[in-house]
Amino acid sequence: MFKCSFSGFFLLTYLICGINGSIKGYISPTDSKKFISILSKSFSDDNLDFSSIYYGVTGYNILNEKIDVQIVKKACDFIQKNFKYGDDVEIILHVFSAWSKLGCTGKIQKEDTLKFLHNAIVNEKSSMADLRFAAEVLKLVGEGVPNPAKLALLLQSKLKEDDSLHNLGHAIHASVLLGSNGKFALDRVEDVVVQLDEVNGKLLQWEGGLSTTSLLLTGLLNLPNSKPFTQIQADKIANYLLTRKTVQTSKGIVALLEAIKSLTTSSVSPVSIGVIGKPIVFIEKPDLKVRVSDLFGAPLKPVPGPVVAVSATRLVDDVVVLSKQPLSAGSGQSEFVLPLHLDPDHYQIVLSVGSHTATLYVRVLGPVNMKSFEIGLSDIDGTSAPRLTALEYPNKLGQPLQADSSNVLVAKFALSKPIHQAFLRLYSPKKEIVFIAEQDNNKIYKVEVNLNSELTYSGSFDIELILGDPVMSNPIKWNMAKIDLNLGKDESEVKSFKGPKPEIKHLFRQAEKRPSPTVSLFFSILTALPLLLLVILWLKIGLNFANFSIVSLPFHFGFGSILCLFLCFWLKLDMFTTCAWLIPLGAFTFLSGHKVLSRVACSKKTEKKE
Amino acid sequence: MANVGTIISKFNVEYQNKTPKKLKIIDAYLLYILLTGIVQFIYCQLVGTFPFNSFLSGFISTVSCFVLAVCLRLQANTENKNQFQDISPERGYADFIFAHVVLHLVVMNFIG
Repeated sequence: MFKCSFSGFFLLTYLICGINGSIKGYISPTDSKKFISILSKSFSDDNLDFSSIYYGVTGYNILNEKIDVQIVKKACDFIQKNFKYGDDVEIILHVFSAWSKLGCTGKIQKEDTLKFLHNAIVNEKSSMADLRFAAEVLKLVGEGVPNPAKLALLLQSKLKEDDSLHNLGHAIHASVLLGSNGKFALDRVEDVVVQLDEVNGKLLQWEGGLSTTSLLLTGLLNLPNSKPFTQIQADKIANYLLTRKTVQTSKGIVALLEAIKSLTTSSVSPVSIGVIGKPIVFIEKPDLKVRVSDLFGAPLKPVPGPVVAVSATRLVDDVVVLSKQPLSAGSGQSEFVLPLHLDPDHYQIVLSVGSHTATLYVRVLGPVNMKSFEIGLSDIDGTSAPRLTALEYPNKLGQPLQADSSNVLVAKFALSKPIHQAFLRLYSPKKEIVFIAEQDNNKIYKVEVNLNSELTYSGSFDIELILGDPVMSNPIKWNMAKIDLNLGKDESEVKSFKGPKPEIKHLFRQAEKRPSPTVSLFFSILTALPLLLLVILWLKIGLNFANFSIVSLPFHFGFGSILCLFLCFWLKLDMFTTCAWLIPLGAFTFLSGHKVLSRVACSKKTEKKE
Repeated sequence: MANVGTIISKFNVEYQNKTPKKLKIIDAYLLYILLTGIVQFIYCQLVGTFPFNSFLSGFISTVSCFVLAVCLRLQANTENKNQFQDISPERGYADFIFAHVVLHLVVMNFIG
């Protein structure tokens, strides 16, 4: 309790004192290597031009990488040979800048170009970027900016027309070159900083992405007598820049590196604090290596203060286990060592370097020992005592266990420390089944497997114990015994749940016993009898055949043939053939029937009229 | 009981005298269909329904024929003229034939 309140007080004091955070990432050697591989493509023959040479050499310079002499010569030759006269101010800047950065010897033609630049820098129609680039080139070649006061006025009037972030960035860059005439830019600093967008409370950037952010950041930090950012803002900008480490173009890489470089060399250089390697230490090797560096991974000069572990808290119960422990210097200048003589667990460590703090999450790993292990069989009804055999890790049980359906497989073991994952695994080449070992009240892990209900068929299984934990340095996988199981069911008897289902065969209704032919015949005659009755009745009533004429013959013939067709359909034809026949027959019968019936109807009408 | 006898005899006389000949022919046909259906029903009660589809199609055939014949009788009856003004007895007969063609195509298909 005392410890808790003590740490609370400690943290509170730090918060009141206005501590600054720190950032975790930095430009690691892996990142640098990736950047170099992309930048090196700028010098390949396929896409060699003035801009690519400029970006390549600028990137190499910031990363302190040497360019191969052959490549330098090739690039210098290329510039010397191809540069005659420029009319794009940005390209001219790239040419002259690359020329000086490569340290080329010889001469490039510049008289016409310089004349062009002198015209451009006083031209009201030049864009803000052109004015800035022109001023930079003139300064680069040693001529200096002609009439800085006039240029300052021009820049200000341009800003009145359009003060987008892009224009502001170039104006700020140009104002740096104008000495005391460039003071107008200082009034704009606050305006620009206010326009920073915050993302998730962690990142700060200007709208327009990496190139705009880099342009404005380098400009603002170049301004003399200005402190545009607080440390917290600088850290958030650094966080944003580090999220853009994935850029794939040499232009993007240069924008990123220039921004990071100007942050690193500023008074608000972010401090990057992180664990070297994995955040894991072992009980037998308790030294936690911590990197305290700037954004390029270089040691801080000067170090803002002693590196101190303010506190270490066990995450599970928030108990403070360590406080105010200074870190000793490690093998490198940016490396510091914190020995963690702690029990295996998860810890949160708060580090401070001067006014910067960082929170690290670390695991301390330690071994877990097996105090005892017993395996054996007992009866399913619990009548007899279990027959258990004690085993020592990593020995194996000499003989396989012989079990049948009335047995229960029992495993009991005790460990020096409770762990998260304890499993007993039974497996054969085709099947595996995993059981969870649970701890009972006496801290003994126990697994009881009812073999009859858990396993479906007889066979021989290997038994394996699997023990693991996030803070266990010696995870165990121990194949300790075999079991021969006889359940009276073989594997072949057990149906597989997978694979195709059995084919469905259609069953017709089973034929029932037919009545004797006599009965059938009798009923056939009985069914036909009413027909006879019909004929007799009709004769008695007196059918009128007088109207029957030769005209109605086709109709009767057609209808009769349809009935014959149906008879054939019943006896042998299928539906398609029947329909094919039915259509012409039906049409014929319809037409002839129509003729007959209309005739009958006509004769009736005439009868009526008469 | 005597009343019933007189009613029946009177009904018979009336029928013989007043019913047109055409309708009598249809009635004879209806009686024939009815008797055939009854014979089929007795057979299925006494012997069994196997094969069921054959029995069913036969029975359906008689029932449908009966229904169609009743329809024909209704349309041909001069007393119903008001209800079937647009339908002449010839038209009714043509429908009857057409319905039979369709019906027996189905029956033959089902009889197996």
